[in-house]
Amino acid sequence: MDNKRLKIALTKGRVEKQVVPLLEAANINCDQIRNKKRRLIFDSETQPLEFILAKGPDVTTFLERGAADIGIVGSDILTEHQSSQYELLDLGIGKCQFVLASTQDFDPKAPKRKIIGTKYPLITKRYFDSLGQDVEIIKIEGSVELAPLTGLADAIVDITETGTTIRENNLKIFDYLDKVSTRLVVNRMSLKQHPDEIFSFVDQIKQVVDKKGKTISK
Amino acid sequence: MNNNLLPLGTRDEFGSRAVNKQHIISVIEHSFSDRGFAKISTPLLEKKTVFEPYKLGNYQLYSLLDQEGDTIMLRPDMTLPIARFLSSTNISLPQKFWYVGDIFRISRQLSGSYNELTQAGIELVGYSSIKAEFECLILINQLSQKLLTDPIEIELGIADLTTVILKDLTDDTELQEEIAQALYDKQIPKYERLIDRFSNQPEYQFLLKWPRMFGKPERIFAQLAEDDLSPEIEQRISELKQVVNWIQTTLPDQAVSIDLSSRAPQQYYTGLTFKGFSKAGSGYLFSGGRYDKLLANFQDMTESAVGMGINIDLLTDLIERKPTVQKKLLYFKPDQWQAAEKVLQQNPNSILSLSDNLDDARKEAQQLRAELVDLTEGEFIG
Repeated sequence: MDNKRLKIALTKGRVEKQVVPLLEAANINCDQIRNKKRRLIFDSETQPLEFILAKGPDVTTFLERGAADIGIVGSDILTEHQSSQYELLDLGIGKCQFVLASTQDFDPKAPKRKIIGTKYPLITKRYFDSLGQDVEIIKIEGSVELAPLTGLADAIVDITETGTTIRENNLKIFDYLDKVSTRLVVNRMSLKQHPDEIFSFVDQIKQVVDKKGKTISK
Repeated sequence: MNNNLLPLGTRDEFGSRAVNKQHIISVIEHSFSDRGFAKISTPLLEKKTVFEPYKLGNYQLYSLLDQEGDTIMLRPDMTLPIARFLSSTNISLPQKFWYVGDIFRISRQLSGSYNELTQAGIELVGYSSIKAEFECLILINQLSQKLLTDPIEIELGIADLTTVILKDLTDDTELQEEIAQALYDKQIPKYERLIDRFSNQPEYQFLLKWPRMFGKPERIFAQLAEDDLSPEIEQRISELKQVVNWIQTTLPDQAVSIDLSSRAPQQYYTGLTFKGFSKAGSGYLFSGGRYDKLLANFQDMTESAVGMGINIDLLTDLIERKPTVQKKLLYFKPDQWQAAEKVLQQNPNSILSLSDNLDDARKEAQQLRAELVDLTEGEFIG
């Protein structure tokens, strides 16, 4: 058996903060990530693992190009970037939902071609396609809530965890779209090339996820 | 706008990459010719209708209009044009063809993928015998040994196995399709949700382990022995076992695995599928299988066929750069051409310098990392 070191691309920021305790519960040493300072790549001295910290969309690019074997990233990004890699595990964290939101006076049934602001043009297009509506989509990189408030768009499609940001900006939710959570994704070729190492890593984490799920459902 | 920029997803090839790629093509060409395959070349452009059976992955196709307003395409595949060729001519079958050429697929922008890819391959048309599949497997084994230092693994599958299993499970065709997609893409959370409705059925244990049913044949066959399979599935597994046995007997050093949860490379595949990959590559180097209904897209009659594509670009990425013998650069005056030509013929590692003077020839030699031989100084004895 070869000594394959698995390269794991982890979405930095909120996902990273939620995933690190999960990895530690699965006996994966994350001291280097906890003490990372400004470093973005960590070659574990105790395990055959290498961690890469990257932005969510870049995690999908690393995976697509085979620069990482495993990615940990939100399902929103996987869908938007049309990831074609294997999605082996729902980590049950980072749970939120896509919503259609706007100012109180927005009329979803108004007979007009709506203008929708979003960070997720593909998901937005698919949603309105399913309703049989053609809309104008404006890609916005952040603070999407500003779009209807400033008159840039009629409404937004965005993800929300609790709806607090939406409410605090005096916006109202008009529809609920797909649910989102953090997923463990594996490069297709890597799984064929190193199945034992990858399944061992995945199963280690799955045990923790299953246990956590059972605790929550009790 | 700059006029020297390449379109996205394309590249120039020169230097060692171009040399290595040509070397691979040359090795493949000799192997195919030695085994009696006939070369076939089809145009880069085809009518859009030729590619109707072609299933797009995560990419789009280049299309344009011809003078009559018909949509034509830059070919994304080499097999369908050959099927078109066969259906429009009276070529007697069986035939063994080989090809090499470029195919075009538009990948996601700025993803690091290329849209122009070089592919070689074979099409064995009119052969219903399993010997056609064996010929492909032998070629995968021989070509990988000739071209690569790392061993490759041959992965076998059955094109319609998923369809047969899911038809046994449910009559709901939409559900069959959803489960198949989730299985092929190993979207496990979705797959587990979809199969949950069968948790009280005897097939459930098989469904649970199905996404992981790939790898060493002995392990997968042992797992299958625990399940009560329909005669139709049993028959396919039995045929697969025969192929595994044949490889293990005929090519004892060849690593072989099976995958019972993968999608056939294209929807026109009907029987055994096979792929070859190395531990290092970022994709499959070889991919093929049986497609007995291919010609049915172009004519009433079906025809037995087995084919295989070879990813030349991926092989080029993997090929070890051969240590190059230092070249001799021959500098000479125009009136010494005959003498220079004689030295060139006698010394295979020499090349002619077309520089006008010795200083330029020195620079040329430096650039080529070659040893400069000045023939103006007298006769060269190599």
